[in-house]
Amino acid sequence: MSEPTARTRALHWGRRVLPLLLLCVLPFYLDAFWLRIGLFSLAAAIGAVGLGLLTGTAGQLSLGHAFFLAVGAYGYVWLAGEPGPGLPPVLALVLAVLLAGAAGGLFSPVAGRVRGIYLGVATLALVFLGHHVLLTADSVTGGFNGRSVPPLPGFTDSDPQLVLLGVPFGAAERLWYLGLALFALTWFTACGLLRGRPGRALTALRDSETAASVMGVHVARYRSTAFVVSSMYAGLAGVLLALAFRRVVPDYFALALSVDYLAMIVIGGLGSVAGATAGAVFVTALPLLMTRYADQLPLVAAPGAADGVVGPTEAARYLYGAAIVLVLLYTPDGLRGLTRRLRTRRRLERPPATATSSREPTPAVRPKEHTP
Amino acid sequence: MSTSAPRPQATEPPELRVQEVTVRFAGLTALDDVSFTVSPGSVHALIGPNGAGKSTCFNVLSGLCRPASGTVRLGDAELTRLAPHRIAALGVARTFQNIVTTEGTVADNLMLGRHVHSRAGFAASALRLPRAVREQREHLAKAREIAELTGLERHFDTPVALLSYGDRKRVEFARALCLEPSVLLLDEPVAGMNAAERARTAETVRDVRAELGLSVVLVEHDMGLVMRLADEVTVLDFGRRIAHGTPDEVRGDPEVLRAYLGTETPQEDVA
Repeated sequence: MSEPTARTRALHWGRRVLPLLLLCVLPFYLDAFWLRIGLFSLAAAIGAVGLGLLTGTAGQLSLGHAFFLAVGAYGYVWLAGEPGPGLPPVLALVLAVLLAGAAGGLFSPVAGRVRGIYLGVATLALVFLGHHVLLTADSVTGGFNGRSVPPLPGFTDSDPQLVLLGVPFGAAERLWYLGLALFALTWFTACGLLRGRPGRALTALRDSETAASVMGVHVARYRSTAFVVSSMYAGLAGVLLALAFRRVVPDYFALALSVDYLAMIVIGGLGSVAGATAGAVFVTALPLLMTRYADQLPLVAAPGAADGVVGPTEAARYLYGAAIVLVLLYTPDGLRGLTRRLRTRRRLERPPATATSSREPTPAVRPKEHTP
Repeated sequence: MSTSAPRPQATEPPELRVQEVTVRFAGLTALDDVSFTVSPGSVHALIGPNGAGKSTCFNVLSGLCRPASGTVRLGDAELTRLAPHRIAALGVARTFQNIVTTEGTVADNLMLGRHVHSRAGFAASALRLPRAVREQREHLAKAREIAELTGLERHFDTPVALLSYGDRKRVEFARALCLEPSVLLLDEPVAGMNAAERARTAETVRDVRAELGLSVVLVEHDMGLVMRLADEVTVLDFGRRIAHGTPDEVRGDPEVLRAYLGTETPQEDVA
């Protein structure tokens, strides 16, 4: 936390703005397939950042993330669609996020009191409950077949027609920018949270509830607020996923989805925004890529092939299962820890510009202490 | 010692009065009718053999443990009914016998100590509102000041996990000071330190007491330190208060000698 000079500040901003610019020009070069992978990854990243805040930073395990994604997705569909109030979609988006937060808030008497792994078990109930409601409340959720998602105005293929620099801008291109904007918002807010007072309080809660409370942190309140904030990110991710899928079905929001999100934050590295993002991209893009290139991969059958062989989706699951095991064994702090270590090593190999170790020498012989 | 200006102390710290506190853990009486008073601005040592109830007493003072009976009052406030974070907000800070720091740099840990003095919530921090950013900057400056006071300024941006044992103890101490407490509870602040580190810590405790005008309650096994620092000493044994007084009075007390040495005709001094 040393004082920033003009040069380090320029570097700091460059490192943030450059990737964003790069992501902004992608629609001009990539086709819809890649943009859809990107969009799903962005949506997953938003959800993973939220779960990372709860599980990685506050140390509260949640298996109920799929439930809050569903609240966001179905909330948007119902609020903006028919049957439903038919609100303007942008308003419906905002309200869906708030709805997910409110759902998290309703759970806060539990989320504030129950610690760590026990919360994981408690939230498990939410997933089953949610799934059941999605299947049975036909009038709101459309039952087993789900509902089609009303598009955001301006984010469809042909309303209005748009061609930029010779590239036709369809729904994939436009939604990509929406996803990017929402992800940027997520990144900005989550980093602000983590580096600010709430982030420190939550880290303290995770490392020692006792220490946090005697330093003045209201344990229950911070736990439940972290749960609400995490639910809101999940709700936002749910809305974006709904817009990307164009149809929401109950079976998508099952326990496996919650586990996927846990896999993302473990692979990426607990407690960091960049890590959660990397993990989200990995877990989301892998099955899609394997499906696309199934015919060129060894040991993987093309989708729809005869049984007895490994399909691309299962293969992807095996792969990220293996990735979790490898991460836990060799780099428990995830991809983020890996990059941090590589960076430190590179810095150490360089001749030291400034002396960093300044431990004062301790006397070799411990002088005998006299007693009064 | 740094040149930082002493905190303007409008009033001296309130009196901490422990009255007839009893704590039972399923049949075991950890504290039995213990009373003592920490007069404002003094260093009060709490000593006794292992298992005497010193740490339990600290847990009662900081709200982690609720007594079966008895009261703890800080000025007009009754502490035994308050949650730990409320007690912290009243200006009672503590350190732990086994170091309890959180992940992150020394700065992160000290900023945790500024928690009760800052207000930025989830929304303000997420949106990085100007007042949240300004508040963070101000408190970082204050934390740096306290790091200088405790000799941690070189390690300010170092992850706590990389520090030596003595330095981590000091981080805990500095974190408690960041709370700007009126009463500071130190649980074995020099345990496991070498002589140089002990002397330095003792000096820091004396300095902050003089500079910030706070009351200190000290649990410590190092009798040399206790006798040098303490204004008053309370001796516990098996949860009971067996002696009380100035260091000199306590040193000669036959009950104390018996508790520490277990004989009726002690050969040595208390040590």
